[in-house]
Order: sequence, then structure tokens, then C-alpha cells
Amino acid sequence: MDNEKIIRREKIKNIIFQVAPVVGLIIMFALFMILAVIKDINIPYSMKNILNQSVIVVVVATGAIFIYTLGSFDISLGANMCVSALIGAMAYNRTNSLLAMLAFCLGTAVLISSVCSILASVFNLPVFVTTIAMLSMLNAGVLMLIGANGTGDIVQVPAAAVSAINTTWFKLLVLVAYLAISIFVFNFLKLGRQEKFVGGNPECARLTGLNNSRLAILGFIMAGIGVGLGAFLTITYAPTLSRNTASSVGMDVIISIVFGGMPVSGGSRSKIYSAVVGALSMTLLSQIMLMLNLNSGISQMVKAIIFILVVYISMSDNRKNILPR
Amino acid sequence: MTKGKRLAGTIIIPVLVLIITNVICMSRGVTMFENSLNWLTFARAVANVSLVTFALSINLNSGRFDFSVGSIALLSSVFSATLAVNHELSPVVMLALSLLFGMLLGLASGLVYVTVKLPPMIVSLAVALFYEGMAYHFTKGHGVSFINNRELLDFASIPNYLIIIAVALIFMIIVFDHTTFGYEYKALQSGQKVSVNIGINEKKNTVICYAIAGLLMGAQGFVSSTTTGSIQMALNFGSIGPMFMAFLPMFIGGYIGRFSNDKLGYLLGAVSTSLISLLYVRLDVNSSVQQVVSALLLVGFLIFLNNENRIKNLFRKH
Amino acid sequence: MKSMKKVLVLMLSLLLVVGMFGCSKDNDGSGKSTDGIDDSTNVKIGVLVADATGAEALAFRSYYENYIQKQYNVTFMYSDELADAAAEASAIDNFIANNCKAIISFASADRPAQIRKCAENKVYYAVATGTLSDEEYKEFKDNEYYVGAIGPDLYTEYLAGYNMAKYYLDQGKTKFAVFGGATPYYVDMHIYRTAGILVALCEAGGGNYNGASDMGSMIGTIYGMNCQLTPAVIGSVELVSYIGGYDFDDAWFGKLAEAANNPSVEVLLAVGSGLDTFAAFKKPNQFLGTVDAYTADAVKAMEAGTLNYLAGKFSASIGPIFMATLSAVQGKPIRTANGEALALSQGYWVATSADEAKNFYAVDSSTTDPAYTRAMLDTLFGASYDDFAKFVGAFSFEEIQNLKK
Repeated sequence: MDNEKIIRREKIKNIIFQVAPVVGLIIMFALFMILAVIKDINIPYSMKNILNQSVIVVVVATGAIFIYTLGSFDISLGANMCVSALIGAMAYNRTNSLLAMLAFCLGTAVLISSVCSILASVFNLPVFVTTIAMLSMLNAGVLMLIGANGTGDIVQVPAAAVSAINTTWFKLLVLVAYLAISIFVFNFLKLGRQEKFVGGNPECARLTGLNNSRLAILGFIMAGIGVGLGAFLTITYAPTLSRNTASSVGMDVIISIVFGGMPVSGGSRSKIYSAVVGALSMTLLSQIMLMLNLNSGISQMVKAIIFILVVYISMSDNRKNILPR
Repeated sequence: MTKGKRLAGTIIIPVLVLIITNVICMSRGVTMFENSLNWLTFARAVANVSLVTFALSINLNSGRFDFSVGSIALLSSVFSATLAVNHELSPVVMLALSLLFGMLLGLASGLVYVTVKLPPMIVSLAVALFYEGMAYHFTKGHGVSFINNRELLDFASIPNYLIIIAVALIFMIIVFDHTTFGYEYKALQSGQKVSVNIGINEKKNTVICYAIAGLLMGAQGFVSSTTTGSIQMALNFGSIGPMFMAFLPMFIGGYIGRFSNDKLGYLLGAVSTSLISLLYVRLDVNSSVQQVVSALLLVGFLIFLNNENRIKNLFRKH
Repeated sequence: MKSMKKVLVLMLSLLLVVGMFGCSKDNDGSGKSTDGIDDSTNVKIGVLVADATGAEALAFRSYYENYIQKQYNVTFMYSDELADAAAEASAIDNFIANNCKAIISFASADRPAQIRKCAENKVYYAVATGTLSDEEYKEFKDNEYYVGAIGPDLYTEYLAGYNMAKYYLDQGKTKFAVFGGATPYYVDMHIYRTAGILVALCEAGGGNYNGASDMGSMIGTIYGMNCQLTPAVIGSVELVSYIGGYDFDDAWFGKLAEAANNPSVEVLLAVGSGLDTFAAFKKPNQFLGTVDAYTADAVKAMEAGTLNYLAGKFSASIGPIFMATLSAVQGKPIRTANGEALALSQGYWVATSADEAKNFYAVDSSTTDPAYTRAMLDTLFGASYDDFAKFVGAFSFEEIQNLKK
């Protein structure tokens, strides 16, 4: 009887862990709507705005899930996106072709991601530290690319060239297509299952014959695709690129993934939808802060508290007698 | 291992860096240490980098990644500088306050971690955001300036930096190598579960680690702020920058630690990277080139560290 | 029990957010009306900022939030610190969603995109403390939603640097160290101020800097050097040392110290942030001049002799663009005779003594009697272009004090 109770309690706890981020999102949305009505804001425009602001982070973060699932971590995603966007924009300016722009965005991002993972695999380097070095290289690369482009401070694609695809529907299409592919790969192909295995217990995975390096490279390639699409969507939304383009994306991705209930240690509890839930929740939270018109300091403190509380509810495991690392 | 080998292993990296940087300088007709200002620049860099490296290594060596170290330096120096300016306190008192606030902020961060039991990286993200926001709110965004307080600015001197470096090193060695806390820290580092099962209080040990890291970052915040006499605000993770300068010295320190004390290794790692910083100053290297060189050095050293046997075998075959 | 704890935590977090309702309030209209200004309806104005922590940016913010917002029935919504064009676009979307009727911009990553987005959504747009390029002005001057720009134009920025250097050259100083601020990042404002300094050195020294000696060629030379300047002997004067950028790492601190502490340097000139860069390294026998904001610290620094020359924008200088924006929102746009948007330049207040700086700061920091009071700004509501331009053109401290009287 006692055992049954314990099992039932554990089941309930697991359900809470699973649904807490989604509940958090629903609460954020409810709060947003209450405030929107009270403050009489333009709700249809807000919805479009929330999608615009979330879509890039969702796409990049969805790709990053393939890295996080392995228990790895890439701090250079934002810098990769900036370099990819710059190369994509330069490609457009040479060819006047949006397809070429997309191809160069994707190609550059995948190449950079692959180099990072191959370097780490071939030389047995810790992935995270490799991405720190990559971050420095890419930041320097950004300055050089902008300088080489001649204008000095910016690289620009004519606004008219991208205005036709700067629409909600196009962004939704890209988002849904990439999400569908990612969900398929993550949930229905070997790659996703093997990644979870490696993330959960890399030694055990290696002993059962899995090639961890190959999986890491594939994971980084999937992330690279997300970064490339993010770069393309960034140019679409704001075709003037500078050294600061996507500078906040790296940290936004980490925050969103965690907020969405993804364990940073990866493994079997990894969820592909964490990126969507987390990015939407963070955007809604930012919108709520804006409506309350708080000063930057207070707004950031409140965000920090809400972030830790939501993640605490969705992830904290008090059963263990040792601290998580 | 013979004494000679240990000594050679301990000093080989900083000596090599010293030689290489000097040769590069000489080839450009520049003297690396031409005047006292160059020594001051070097000493300040060593103090800055070694403090951050000590602080970051405490938790990182135990698998706890901490994004919040920079925000602790920021907020502790904001508090101490505000008090020092408003009450005309001496630099020593300001330093003591920085240490106190740094320790308390680190302690708070550690308490949050052991209470919520979330991965340390997540906790540190929230803590960094919170402390940055608090610093901004406390100073109403203005930061703190004490450019008119000559006494505080004059703290920036070679002897003072040397004292800070020496005290920090001795403190680290005593606390981590010669106390029960240090033994328990090492036990937890190498076997977390076993250590907890044999009765080591992990939570207490962890909170103390965070407090010590905070204390060191309080000192770093003080060193950094007394350099220019002003503390600039950072928002949206703008404070995580200092963390990145600690990785290369940490890995160098890890290598040197095989031959002698790892804390001494961190300091010598900081000495090595500070020599490189001074090279940048003397040759007026622009920041893009600095970033590329630093990244290549980090990757290069890591490749060496992780493939030492392969490299040795390669040479043996020939 | 632990689940209960989590539920409690959730409820607490909800309370925290809901509790914020109490902290925020909308400014209810008082219904009063002066000079035709409709004070009965609250007007929301979005403010785009690229800098949320600089002394100048905070002084501007204080003028809007602590004076204008209390005087008029307006609510200012501030963006976060905007780093790039995408962040600007997002912030504008936020303001539009929040029913802002106008946007005043201090951010310049992509001004044309900002204006287009505002115009598409029928939101008025104005540039504070800056200008559009000639091409940009040509494109948008007839757009009814583009209110205009008021602020130092690039020539004024050039003069700010030129006059600062000339002040010391006239005193016979010949050895200079220059902090170029954001020049390496291709920020026009700082490039023009740096060019002004260099041209002044060329004129006084009777030489040239890498072949350039006037404004046009100097700007070309700076761009030609990828905005990475180097020291040079310029005839009989010398740019002994130069540093640019805001790296804030150990190498940067070292370069800053070396630039300032070169024994032959007599004068330290900063095109921005002189108090946060050169001041700490300045020797008692050196002089320091900077383009910066009027703050309590700057005044103290002038009193202590740490700072000897300060050119700063006054915080109320953004009052007229607010009034032009409010006028446009309330149906009385201020346009040229041809119906074009405003493009007016404003200059700096220059203090060369502690007393001057103290006077400037007292007015500049006042939240009850600032440089431009409501009574003064009200005269601009629906004003003719000529009257408006005349008001803005009289920007010196003395002229404003006379206007007040």
C-alpha cells in the first residue's frame, strides 16, 4: 500500500515536472492578457510582435537542443549567427538572390558548428571550452568581415529585397518546417534516442558501441542549421547588420531552453519543445515587464526571480542527497 | 619526480612566454619592460586575472559552472565604493568592504544553489541577472565614480598589487590545502557521492566555496574599479566578460599543478597571460587581433593538454 | 509536503508579478489646457535608447521622466539598451503594441528602418540629439510621420573636437594624447570630433596628418585608416599618443595608462568619456578636456583641477523635439514652409572653469526649473517653423537664461 502511494506520488511529481514549463507559459500568457486588457494594448499587433520576437530564438534554441541533449553547451551560437548573417548578406549583395543568401547563411553556420565539434572530437577537447575559443575567433571575424565590406560599421541588404518575406506567415512557415524536421529527427530517428543515451551516460553509451564523436558532430550540424535559419530570419527582420547583431542570442537561447524545462545535463529528460515553450515564455515575460514600465534594474531583478522560480518548480529534484552539478 | 623536473615543469610555461614575448618585442624594436608604468600594467593584470582565476576555479573544479562571478565583482565594488565615497573612507577600508560584500554576495549565491538544488549554471544565470539589476537599481544606472578621490586612485601601485596577489595565493593554499574544509572540498571534488555518504556536509562545503569565490571577486572588483576610478553598469549578462579571461590561466594552472601546487599554477598562468597582455600594450595590437591570438592560444594549449601522450609518441617514433 | 512548497512558491511568484500592478500607474489626465495643448488625454511616447547607463543618456532620461512627464499628460516608455537594428525593430514593435502615439529615438543602428516602420504604423517619429544624413533626410522629409531631428549635426560634432583642441593650442600647448572613444567602431559622432581635434592640430602645427589637414580630407583619412589612428608629429605640434575603443580589458587599461602617462604629453583630450578613461591616469601638470555630460562628478573634477574643459549637451536640449512630437500627435505639426520635417542643429555648452560648470550643472540637473521649462516649451506648441528654429538656435546657456527672463 505504502509502495503504491509512493509510486503514485512519484508519478504525480513527474507529471508536475513535465507540465510545469507549459503551465508557466500559460500563466505568463494569462498575465499578459490580463495586463493587455487593463492597459488597453493592441492585442493583435502584440501577438504578431511576440511571434516576431520569439521566432529567431525558437529556431536557434531548437537546434541547440541537439547539443544540450548530449550534455554539451555552445556559448558561441550568437557569434556564429552574426558571422553567418554577414556572409549571407554579402552573398545577397553579390548575387541579388535570396536563395543564395539562405544557402550562405546555412552553409556558414553549419560549417562553423562542424568545425567546432570536429575540433573537439579530433583533439578530445572539452566542447564548452572549444566554443569559448570559437566565440573569440568569431567576434574577431565579425569585425574583419564588416571592415572588409568597405562600409566600416555595417553590412546592409536593401530593405526592399527582404520586405516580401518579412511576413508572419513566412516566419511561421520556416519555424514550423524546422520544428517538424527537428521533432522527427529527435523523436523518431536513432539520432535523438542515441543523443539522449550519450547525454545520460556517455561512458555506458560508448561501451555499447555508440560513436559519441559522430553524434556530437551530427548534433552540432543540426544546431548549425538552426543558427543558419536564425541568421536568415534576422536579415529578413532587420537587414542592417553590425558588430552587435545577434549579440544577445547566445544567452537568450540558454535562458529559453532552461525556462522551457530542458535539463542542462541533457539525457533522457530532454525535450525538443522546450525551446518553443521557453522562448515564448521569456518573450511574454519581457512584454509584461514593458507594460509595467519598470526601470531596467528592477525589471531584470524580477525576471531573474521568476526565472529561478519557474525552473525550480519544473526541475528541482529534492530526492537526491547530493547537489546537482 | 625529481626536484629539478618539478621545478622545470612549474616554470617552463611562464619562462617560455616571457622569452617569446620579449623576442617579439625586441624584433619590433620595443622593450617589454621599459619603465615603471609597464611594470604597473603587468602587476595589475596579474592581480586581476589571478583573482578571477582563483575564484572561478574553486567552483569549476567541482563541476559548478558560475556565470555570476563578474556580477559579484560589480555589485560588491558598487556597494563598497558608494560607502567609501560618501564617508570618505580609506582604500584599505574600501577593500575590506569589497571583500565583505563580495563574500556575502557569494554566500547568498551559494545558499540559493543549495536551497533550490538546481544545476549551478542555471542558478548562476539568475544570480548574475539579479545582481546586475540590483547594481543598476542601486546606482540608478549611473554607476559609481570616485575620480575625485585621489587617495582611492593612488591605491593602484605595484606594491599594493603584489600584496593582494601574495595574500590571495597564501589564503588559497592555506584554506584549500591545509584545513579540514579543504580536505573535504577535495574529497567532494573527486567522489561526491562517496564523500556525502561518509558524512561530509556537502551543502556547508559548497556554500563556503561560493563565499570564498565571492570574497576573491570582491577583491577583483576593487582592483578593477580603482584602476579608472569609475564603475560602469552592465545589464543583460554584460558582467560575464571577466569570466572568459580566466580559462587559459586555469588550464595552464592545471598543467603546472602536476609539478607543484595548482594554486601556484593558476598564479603562474595569470603571469603568462598578463605577459601576453603587456605585449599587446607595448605593440599596440588592436582588439580583433588580440581576440584571435587569445583564442588560438587557448585552443592550442588545450590540444596540447588533451593530446600530450599522442604528441610525445609522435616525437618518440622519430 | 514538497509539492505543497512548490505550489506555494508558484503562488508567491504570481503575487510578485500581480503586485507590480500596484507599483505602476498611468498618468491620469488632469484636463488642463495651456496654449492649445490637450492635457486631457494621456499620450504614450516610446523612447529608443542605445545607451541605458551613460551619464548623458541618464541625464536625458531624468529630464523626460522627472520633469516633462510630471508637467504634461504624457507617459514615456523606455526601451532596453538596444544593441542592433533587430533590437530597434523589436522595441518599435513593442511600442506600437502598447499604443504609443510617437517614438523619440536616441538609437541609430538603422534610422531609415525605424522611420519606415513607424510611418507604416502611423506612429510619429523623431530623432533626439542627432541628425539624419542628407540622403536620409531627402527620403523622409515629406513623410508626415517623420517629425524631424534636433541635435548636434556632424559639423557641430567636428567643431566640438576642433574647439576643444584649439582651446589648448591657443595656450601654447603642443603635445597631445587623444582618446578616440568609439572611433574604431566607426561611430560618426566620435570620428568627426576626432577629425576636429586633428585639423586643429594641423592648423596650429602647420603640418598635416597622413596628408590631411582640412575637415573633408581628415574624415577620408580616418576612414582610410580603418578608424585605427596612430600617433604622429604634425608640424610643430605632436599627437604623442592615441587610444580608441572601449575594450575594458587589461591590455586596454595598459594602453590607456601608457597614452596618458607619456612624459611629454601636456594635454589629454577625450572625444567622449574622458572622466571614465583619462582622468584616473592624469598627472597634476597635465590638462584634461572632454566632450561629456554635466554631472556632479564632472563639476567636482573641474573644481579639483582634474578636468579643465568640458563640452556637454544639456539635458533639456531634448525638450524642443518632445514639443515638436507632441504638437504633431495633437494635430499641429511643425514643418517648414514647404511642409518638410525639422532638421535643426544644436550645439554644446562649454565650460572652462569650475564656476561655469557649477552654474551649468545647477540648471541642467534641476527637476523643477531646468533649462527649458514648461512655460518655455509651451510657446513652441504649434509654432511656426521660423519661431521654432529661432528657439532651438538660441541654445547657449546665456541665451537660454535670457529667454527664461
